[in-house]
Amino acid sequence: MISSKTNVDRRRIMLLGLLVPPTLFLLVFFIVPLTIMVIYSWLEPGLYGGVVWNFYDLNYGRILGWADSRYEKFDPVYLAIFFKSVRLALTTVLICLFVCYPAAFWISKMSDTKKNLFLFLVTLPFFVSLIVRLFAWVLILRPTGFLNQALMGTGLISEPLQIIFTDTAVIIGMTYVFIPFMFLPLYASIEKLDMSLLESSSDLGATRLQTFRRVILPLTLPGIIGGSIIVFIPALGNFIVPSLLGGAKVLMIGNLIEQQFLSARNWPFGSALGMIVMAAILVLLVYYVKMMTREDRLARTPSIKEVQ
Amino acid sequence: MKILKVLRSSALSIYGYFFFAFVYAPILLIVVFSFNSNPVNMMIWESFTLDWYKTIFGMTNASSESALYLDSTDQLYAAVQNSLVIALTTTLIATVFGTSIALAVARFKFKLKGFYRALMFMPMIMPDIVLGIALLIFFVSIGAQLSIYTIIIGHCTFLTSYVFIVVSARIADMDETLEEASADLGANGWTTFRRVTLPMIMPGVIGGALLSFIISMDDLVITYFIAGVDSQTLPVFIYGMLRRGIKPEINAIATIMLLFSIIIASIGLYMRSRRN
Repeated sequence: MISSKTNVDRRRIMLLGLLVPPTLFLLVFFIVPLTIMVIYSWLEPGLYGGVVWNFYDLNYGRILGWADSRYEKFDPVYLAIFFKSVRLALTTVLICLFVCYPAAFWISKMSDTKKNLFLFLVTLPFFVSLIVRLFAWVLILRPTGFLNQALMGTGLISEPLQIIFTDTAVIIGMTYVFIPFMFLPLYASIEKLDMSLLESSSDLGATRLQTFRRVILPLTLPGIIGGSIIVFIPALGNFIVPSLLGGAKVLMIGNLIEQQFLSARNWPFGSALGMIVMAAILVLLVYYVKMMTREDRLARTPSIKEVQ
Repeated sequence: MKILKVLRSSALSIYGYFFFAFVYAPILLIVVFSFNSNPVNMMIWESFTLDWYKTIFGMTNASSESALYLDSTDQLYAAVQNSLVIALTTTLIATVFGTSIALAVARFKFKLKGFYRALMFMPMIMPDIVLGIALLIFFVSIGAQLSIYTIIIGHCTFLTSYVFIVVSARIADMDETLEEASADLGANGWTTFRRVTLPMIMPGVIGGALLSFIISMDDLVITYFIAGVDSQTLPVFIYGMLRRGIKPEINAIATIMLLFSIIIASIGLYMRSRRN
């Protein structure tokens, strides 16, 4: 009895030893900073940077449409930039999906040794420095870059194409950077596909398109959605890709936030912009969780199982 | 019918090779053109040279004297040194923290488990820029001087999560009965931990450490916000160089970084394949 009591005590001490240091650290350097940011977004910006400790909702008003003209102007440009960022991020997600899906299928059908090699090759770029990979695209897309040299060399065009500093360049850059993010979740669900289901589908007279739409697509949906979310989140808040490949012409919400912090020095407004990005992501995640739990419930209903 | 099938599968293979060409061509391009001697247009091949490599290693030569491209090799070295110090320190701290939380959540009973899981999940759903600005506001409001210490703290906040996820996955695959057996045989908690648990989770710990080292070396966004003037890391330094203009030396620096990350990634993946 006594020994088991000391044992419980010992385990409690071990647990505290494991948890207390990282908890303190994360409390001070993770939770507190995020909380301060939330508070900042509701404070009045000071005249020369800094803040005034007054409750102030016009940081959000400037973005979302209410404003007191004495202090801040509502400017639809912020919402426009936000929606543009959403559009660019969604386009990136879709292109990543279309590029990776067939490739994941291809690799999933290989022999084990070949499979491992190719999976290694897909993951490798993830370990290559982001800035190096983006620099490569600057070299390719510049007016005097590789693509234009090649196209002009073959006589296809006579004047260099202006690709860098356009939306297209930003989308190409983000697609390239996020391919490994999309590929791995997709591959995980494609690899689990039961090939006999595909055979029975075609045995029962389904065309290839029908098999794809009714069998393959629903079964790989978790990978599609997972990959899409993992790509969408960093794409939405990105500012490195647009600043290198979009220049001053393609502004995403990330660039706007960066400007508020490093040049305009309006930190409360920058925090409010950051909160808008977080809010968009949270809405998406809540929707995702809801959908997944519904899928789960549907999958557990016996009637569906019988049909399968 | 059979011809159709063969055609279809070869179409898939052809697509697959295109996919890998898309992934690797840009990287190869950098490597190839880092040996190009043309100082005016990097993308027009002139002749083979090692000048750009010599420049970054501080050796003067004809092309570097005619146009001193690299602002200062000293700055470059300082950035590399900062990056290494930060990545090593961060890896050490984040690995200990991440492993501790993973062990606590997987092997102990307590009420706040849900909280810890959510906490470890948060950096994954937050765009880097949000954490970057939150840390910047925090450090400035408490009056901390931005330095490599603030960068180390910043990296630890999110890399703890990465280690947690990798180690947790490893613990989930583990056989819990071995630890019970060790306890039944009279080993106390600490002995069981040292002799049974730790060796078994070690591959996960090393994997998490390698991952956090690579991410710390490569992090640009968060570092960009919390780096002081004297505490630039290599990615921040290169980002600054790129914004001021494209110079041939960047090809050479990029190639060396490429080599470095491929070596580390290969070590990690080799170790993983040997375990299986």
